[in-house]
Amino acid sequence: MELGYITAAAAAEAVRKREITARELVESFLGRCTALNGRINSFIHIFEQEAMDQAEVVDERIKGGEALPLAGVPVALKDDLCYSAGPTSWGAAALKDFHPPYTAAAVEKLIAAGAVIVGKANLDPFSLGFSTAASLAGPTVNPRNPDLPAGDGAAAAVAAGQCLLALSSDSGGALRIGADRCGIFGLRPTTGLVSRHGLCTAAPSFARVGIAAREAADIELALQAIAGYDPRDAATAAVKEGIPAAQKRSATKELKIGFPEAVFDLLPEVDRASLEKSRAKLEASGAAVMAVELPLFQEALHAYCVIAAAEASSNLGRFDGIRFGIPEAEANMEDWYHKTRGRIFDLEAKRRSIFGTHLLSGENFDAYYRQAQKVWKLVRRSFAAALEHCDLLVLPVAVSPGNGCEAGGDFLASYQEKLFCAPVSLSGLPALCVPAGDGAATAAGLQLVGKPFGEAALIALADRAAL
Amino acid sequence: MVMEYEVVIGLEVHVELLTKTKLFCACPNRFTAEANSHTCEVCLGFPGALPLLNREAVQKALTASLALNCEIALHSYFDRKNYFYPDIPKGYQISQYFIPLGSNGFLEIEDDSGAPKKIRIGRVHLEEDAGKLVHGGAGDSAVDYNRAGVPLIEIVSEPDLRSPGESRRYLEQLKSILQYAEVSDCKMEEGSLRCDANVSLRPKGSTVFGNKVELKNMNSFKAVEKALEYEIERQAQILRRGETVIPQTRRWDEDKQVTIAMRDKYQATDYRCFPDPELAPIELTAGEVEAARRALPEFPAQRKSRYMAEYGLPAYDAGVLTATRGMAEYFEACLKLYDDPKSLSNWIMGDFSAHLNAAGLEPQEAPLTPAYMAALLQMIDKQLISGKIAKEVMAKVFATGKSPREIVEGEGLLQITDQSELEKLVDEVIAANPDSVQSYRSGKTKALGFLVGQVMQATKGKANPQLVNKLLIEKLK
Repeated sequence: MELGYITAAAAAEAVRKREITARELVESFLGRCTALNGRINSFIHIFEQEAMDQAEVVDERIKGGEALPLAGVPVALKDDLCYSAGPTSWGAAALKDFHPPYTAAAVEKLIAAGAVIVGKANLDPFSLGFSTAASLAGPTVNPRNPDLPAGDGAAAAVAAGQCLLALSSDSGGALRIGADRCGIFGLRPTTGLVSRHGLCTAAPSFARVGIAAREAADIELALQAIAGYDPRDAATAAVKEGIPAAQKRSATKELKIGFPEAVFDLLPEVDRASLEKSRAKLEASGAAVMAVELPLFQEALHAYCVIAAAEASSNLGRFDGIRFGIPEAEANMEDWYHKTRGRIFDLEAKRRSIFGTHLLSGENFDAYYRQAQKVWKLVRRSFAAALEHCDLLVLPVAVSPGNGCEAGGDFLASYQEKLFCAPVSLSGLPALCVPAGDGAATAAGLQLVGKPFGEAALIALADRAAL
Repeated sequence: MVMEYEVVIGLEVHVELLTKTKLFCACPNRFTAEANSHTCEVCLGFPGALPLLNREAVQKALTASLALNCEIALHSYFDRKNYFYPDIPKGYQISQYFIPLGSNGFLEIEDDSGAPKKIRIGRVHLEEDAGKLVHGGAGDSAVDYNRAGVPLIEIVSEPDLRSPGESRRYLEQLKSILQYAEVSDCKMEEGSLRCDANVSLRPKGSTVFGNKVELKNMNSFKAVEKALEYEIERQAQILRRGETVIPQTRRWDEDKQVTIAMRDKYQATDYRCFPDPELAPIELTAGEVEAARRALPEFPAQRKSRYMAEYGLPAYDAGVLTATRGMAEYFEACLKLYDDPKSLSNWIMGDFSAHLNAAGLEPQEAPLTPAYMAALLQMIDKQLISGKIAKEVMAKVFATGKSPREIVEGEGLLQITDQSELEKLVDEVIAANPDSVQSYRSGKTKALGFLVGQVMQATKGKANPQLVNKLLIEKLK
């Protein structure tokens, strides 16, 4: 069995049928984790012993007759998801040696379904970025093309075959951009579908637990395991009485796909060409592609940046050296905070804290924060209005690598990278990023944006359209 | 001519709510001596932990707002007040800044002349408490987060108070209402009620406010009154000298009985308040508000008038009996079993209260239950025991928890009403005290008291005094 390119569904079935033990499966993937990590740098922590112990538990459960949907499936977690078996650093010096006493709800559910956590994936400090360029462990290398950034450690681990699934986080597009860069599928679920308990975030309005996989069907398998009500995250009250009936799965040829022409016009010529090809494939699959409008699309990015910075300035306030981070103990608390935070924060965390503090201060609150909230509301409405006429929307994920502003450049320009992802984050709608083109690492992918809780329709189309 | 000044006072009161758990987590809302034992990832601000609103706290805040005659916001939400201090674990306090749950309420008090006066309440909002700093001897400090996340309401009065006395009565009235509504135990000495005062002076007749000073660190109602008196005098002296009062925050020093400047107001912090993105808005329906309104208890002022009208009690008695909800409920429970309100009132205000205070008990915790109280008073009425014996029995109920009947019967305290038995004793006393008998017969009626006393002593107080009296008078004719 060539385990590196097996699907999660097939691997779980093989374990359930006892064609292979969970231990054998996990051991093989742990080997790849370790062997490839020197080159790819996708993991900052590998659970060599814990994963084997966990696999043994899975084998016992299988022997006990449990039908585990993710039996033995090796999974990577972005290191902003708390997992009590080891350290959770959130990529930040402030959380060095932090062992959370709790495990994220989504991770608990994956483990209950039989999955085995193999490691914690690389990320930017406090998840403030979508390149891993600022990671304390150094950047993750793109498995498809070492000259290009990977975007997301968890996506890179999936693409490199170090695991079969990954849970990652997506606020302004980190998971989607990472999956796009690495040529795999990445799902940002509907607000309230997956519990955020145990997800470290600087942007609570936008952060969601997402899934990365090489196959669309595996995304669905993982989603079924992690979705649902969790009393620890009030937002999941939306699915307390069960997940709203998934939209009827229309055959592809009955689907109406909204195509916002004006948004695609924002792409450079080189990307337009490859995206045109993907669009043609959608049409060829029988779906009706229709024109839609998404007003305020460019303003959405600004609103996102304002709100995300405001929230970061507040959410990172707790890292003051009293409970987290080694303090610069000064008699004067003002000095204590300046010195401690000055040392344990990286450049981007400082930027967002200062930017956010500025945006919430005095009259800036009305001029920026309140305005951004208004734009947010209007953007939500504009997406809902567009989806009244079609089943789903198709949008670019990002400008292809090398054609945009990569991290390390001007920071305001680098925020432009989220131009296509941030508006979707504001909408609260589910988005599935689909690898596009012929596997060329330079091609730009698409994201399918669905109605609330319409994940199944997105996954079905992605599976069938073979973009 | 000396300029006359008008005093303008507004009070900001923080009250801890009597909930089972903290405002956003399942940690117990209870005092414990062991530092940081009532904490969890939510109230310690661990990354990845999400707050969950405690509906019981919303219900208590709603009850408090209604009890203070406020308008209720059916839609309100929580905001973050951002600042750095070691006692707040998240770098912000969760509060209601933009929309308070309750607004435009009032509280009725008596002014210094005894006339009724309405004090407007601007807002009642829900927020979380901070932890406590514990300062060590060597300049080191530790933090105890047991209190962090405990639900509070802040009650802000309008500047309608005009004297330290009015301020004290406002606080007493507020405490009484919140205790009645079972919102808080309001123990200022234990910190479950905290009060800051804003005070300024202006020339009599002026409509603009003078520069105000905020007073902190008062640990009792008495301290609030004293601090205000001191501060008013301090400001009056400044103004009389033709100088200006500096707007600032001052701390009351209980030992020195003075206020001391802490910081000037122009250094005010910008708290960068914004709606908390981790918490859903608080939504209430008109039906929920009405249900809470209907569930409000009868408050002390109404209850006092009813006691006077319905039971014919003097104002003093009615005031004492309604001072706390527990006492009023005890009184009413007794009254269902024993229908002489005045006699009951005398016993409750007298011996019963003395025993409660000595034992540090609430009326509901008293070993002398309403049923025991009724039984005891009925024994007096039926002349089974004397009032004096009843006092002893009550003390023994408090000491042993036994029923009054058990004590009376077990210790043979039943009053002697058997005429032949008493006649024998009366004859003995007459025979043994010829001098007193002589005095009585020669017109000194006072001697009768002595002779009654002798009979009572011989029976250890169990003789029916009226009967002894009657028998002696007959025999001495």
